[in-house]
Amino acid sequence: MIEAKRFDQERSCSRRGRYMYFFFQIGSSGIATGAVYGLIAVGYSLTFITTKVLNFALGMWVMLGGMLTYSLQVQYGVHPLIILLLVPCLLFALGLVAERFTVLPFLRAGSDVWVLSTLAVGLLFIDLAELIWGRSPTPVPSYFGSTPLMIGQVAILPQQVLIIATAIVIFVALDLFYRRTLLGKAFRAVAHSPDVSGLMGINTRLVQAGSYAAAAALAGIAGVMVVPLTLAEPQLGTVLGLKAFAIAIIAGLAAPRGILICGLVYGAFEGLVSGYFYTGIRDILGFSLMILALYLKPEGLFGTRQEERA
Amino acid sequence: MRRVTTGIAWLAVALLAAFPLLVEGTYYKFLGIIVLIYGIVAIGLNILSGYAGLLSLGRAALMAAGAYTTALMTKALAPLPLFAATGLHIWLGMVAGTVVAALFGAALAFPSLRVRGPYLAMVTVAFGWVVWKILQEWVSVTGGDLGISSIPKPQVGPLLLETQSFYFVVLGCFMVALGLQDRIVRSRFGMRLRAMRHSELGIASVGVDVHRLKVAAFVISAAFAGFGGTLFAHQQNYISPDNFQFFSSVFFLLAILFGGAGTRFGPIVGAAVLTVLPELLHDFDKYRLIVYGCFILLTLYFLPNGVMGLFPAARPAARAPTGAPHSKVVAAMPAALAQVRGAALEAAGISRSFGGLRALSDVALSVGAGTIHALIGPNGAGKTTLINIVSGIYRADAGRILIDGQPARIGSLHGAAAQGIARTFQTIKLFGDMTVLEHVLTGLSRHSRLALWHALLDTRAAREEAASQIEQARQLIAFVGLAGYEDRPATELAYGHRRLVEIARALAVRPRLLLLDEPAAGLVADEIMALAQVIRRLKQASVTILLIEHHMDLVVSVSDRITVLDQGVVIADGSPSAIQRDERVIAAYLGPSHAAA
Repeated sequence: MIEAKRFDQERSCSRRGRYMYFFFQIGSSGIATGAVYGLIAVGYSLTFITTKVLNFALGMWVMLGGMLTYSLQVQYGVHPLIILLLVPCLLFALGLVAERFTVLPFLRAGSDVWVLSTLAVGLLFIDLAELIWGRSPTPVPSYFGSTPLMIGQVAILPQQVLIIATAIVIFVALDLFYRRTLLGKAFRAVAHSPDVSGLMGINTRLVQAGSYAAAAALAGIAGVMVVPLTLAEPQLGTVLGLKAFAIAIIAGLAAPRGILICGLVYGAFEGLVSGYFYTGIRDILGFSLMILALYLKPEGLFGTRQEERA
Repeated sequence: MRRVTTGIAWLAVALLAAFPLLVEGTYYKFLGIIVLIYGIVAIGLNILSGYAGLLSLGRAALMAAGAYTTALMTKALAPLPLFAATGLHIWLGMVAGTVVAALFGAALAFPSLRVRGPYLAMVTVAFGWVVWKILQEWVSVTGGDLGISSIPKPQVGPLLLETQSFYFVVLGCFMVALGLQDRIVRSRFGMRLRAMRHSELGIASVGVDVHRLKVAAFVISAAFAGFGGTLFAHQQNYISPDNFQFFSSVFFLLAILFGGAGTRFGPIVGAAVLTVLPELLHDFDKYRLIVYGCFILLTLYFLPNGVMGLFPAARPAARAPTGAPHSKVVAAMPAALAQVRGAALEAAGISRSFGGLRALSDVALSVGAGTIHALIGPNGAGKTTLINIVSGIYRADAGRILIDGQPARIGSLHGAAAQGIARTFQTIKLFGDMTVLEHVLTGLSRHSRLALWHALLDTRAAREEAASQIEQARQLIAFVGLAGYEDRPATELAYGHRRLVEIARALAVRPRLLLLDEPAAGLVADEIMALAQVIRRLKQASVTILLIEHHMDLVVSVSDRITVLDQGVVIADGSPSAIQRDERVIAAYLGPSHAAA
């Protein structure tokens, strides 16, 4: 009798412990996912800041990053760290080409038609990827293995630590770039007035194409790093791209710092929601928050209101 | 020419009507129904994207809203004897589906159109994806991936419609949709949409709330999509999330793009080609996205105006204007200005900063009713900032504005126009290739007393009002000296004439206070003389005018009073002759050394 009671107490105590453990567990892995969202979301911000163009195919670049990782690592046995450096460079170059043919011709016309051309490129490449790699998802092993690191009682995968660290490094670098370097200032100037910046001797073409390609490369990095956690498949980028867009809107398209914070918080929140509630709600959540943010603060939580100019 | 196009149109209608009688088997009839249904949805999208220039990629979700609503409703009602005998449930379901889709559209458009830029397109993408997800996950209602089957067949009275009869019903619906599109586009609502596409500031300056206009356009187009969705559900008798994937949304945008966005028959041409083409291609499903992606890119590169864009709409031939128009400003006072009573403007303590830059500090301005008041000063003095505050584009950090002694409620540009404050812009904001007459009509549209349904039903009241507004617009155009140019697209006009079009548009608002921001910039000498004459005659009409101008000859010759701004501060205020002698003014313009001399 007494034995049983003590057993009961012990169990309830450990249940509470497990409860907290569960909380931190899913929260921390959520943060890693959030870092991925943040990396993609800042890509929307990069092109939006300089040219007001939203790259509708950003999810495609995530997918390309992921699928190239699969090919290089699993099929050709290239060292993962080389991939992490090689793939962004490759996608940057490809981004320059894509910008030249699908954005520039329509940007000149001053219309929103680039929305359609970026979308068309996205559709095209997703189908091409399905032809090349097939539709079935394939696992990509993480270079750092799948043995979790223990931080207290919370287990976290080395890959997740890598993702969070990379995202923070990239965001700090981006922040320094915008604030400290001449080219970064040129980026912001072009955002403000392309014509005047051109007169001041800034190569606006370089800035426009560079921001597009940089966004593609960042999305590619997100893809490289996320496939060991998910699976490599041609539809990989679609949902990631949409959620990242929601985050970019919630934070404010013109606020890169806010995007990282929102990404991390959102990732953790999403992890908790799907951990405690029903997984189906998870995907609807981001969209609902985006609509709510547009109702309450259309310029984003971290954005500042801009008046239109006559 | 016009007779030929009418002939072709009737021939097309006859062919469409005879189509089910000409083909064998239900397959082609079925295909015909699908083309017409997609045509209806595409027409709705054409109003939004083609005419108003707002891209939406959420058609599939809106169709799904209509389709699932009618499916669930008619399935629930069908067993009741009342409905089984009358077929009323089908019509109820179709109405309900249309309304639900419109409500979804409103909930979606209202927030996402608050910001300018390409937000809407992306939000609709996300919306489509979420709806698709909900259709899959909410199994208890939507049936999940299995969808909803045995949806009641279309029925008129107790009679169930076979494919052929239903074809004629859908054809009827399509013709109505086509007619509605025409009337919407020609109504003042449609004119505003087309104008907004070219300049949001321009259309707001004549008193149109741009946000409301966009939301209305989205809701109307969503209703078309929802209605198409209900037809689709009853035609198929079975719907599942597969019918409403993102891909379908791309389909509709591509259809109007290919057919010709902003043309009357573009949507149906696009829908027909894109529906029939895949039927002819083997293995289409495998390469679907590749084909569509290439199709979009090729269309954008080589057919920017679509197939129908190759046949430009026949415009009434523009009559050749006789002589230089601005040489004969002797037109009668326009009826539109007959009852205008100029307002007095009183601004006190106006301050405004941009970041650290103080554009205006403690500015006071007093403009008497029915007078011409000039606002001058060197570049960067804050003149345009002040006008932007008075016309509601900017908010002042401090200060108050009185109109006729009453505190003015100017929250926005369109709000200012509603108070009788109209303006022109330093950089001209016209509506692209719309005609001079249409420009002035958009300005007059604020004074329309009739609801939109009058225009949709083409009632007698609507026709009478349209005729009277056209007459008023012609008078205004003659008044600014552009008689004979009514049917010219604004893009074809000389620079000076475009400025006059903008003034005529602003006058159509029947302003009590008219703000002219550098109207003489870029005008040649005799055009400036003509402008001076227009301004003086406006004074006869008792319109109060606040004029920003650098041309001192013009300013001195027309103004009753002049206020001089320099670096955000009023440095002088008085009669033209006093201002010309004022030392501080001379110093501000020419530097202190000249003032001493």
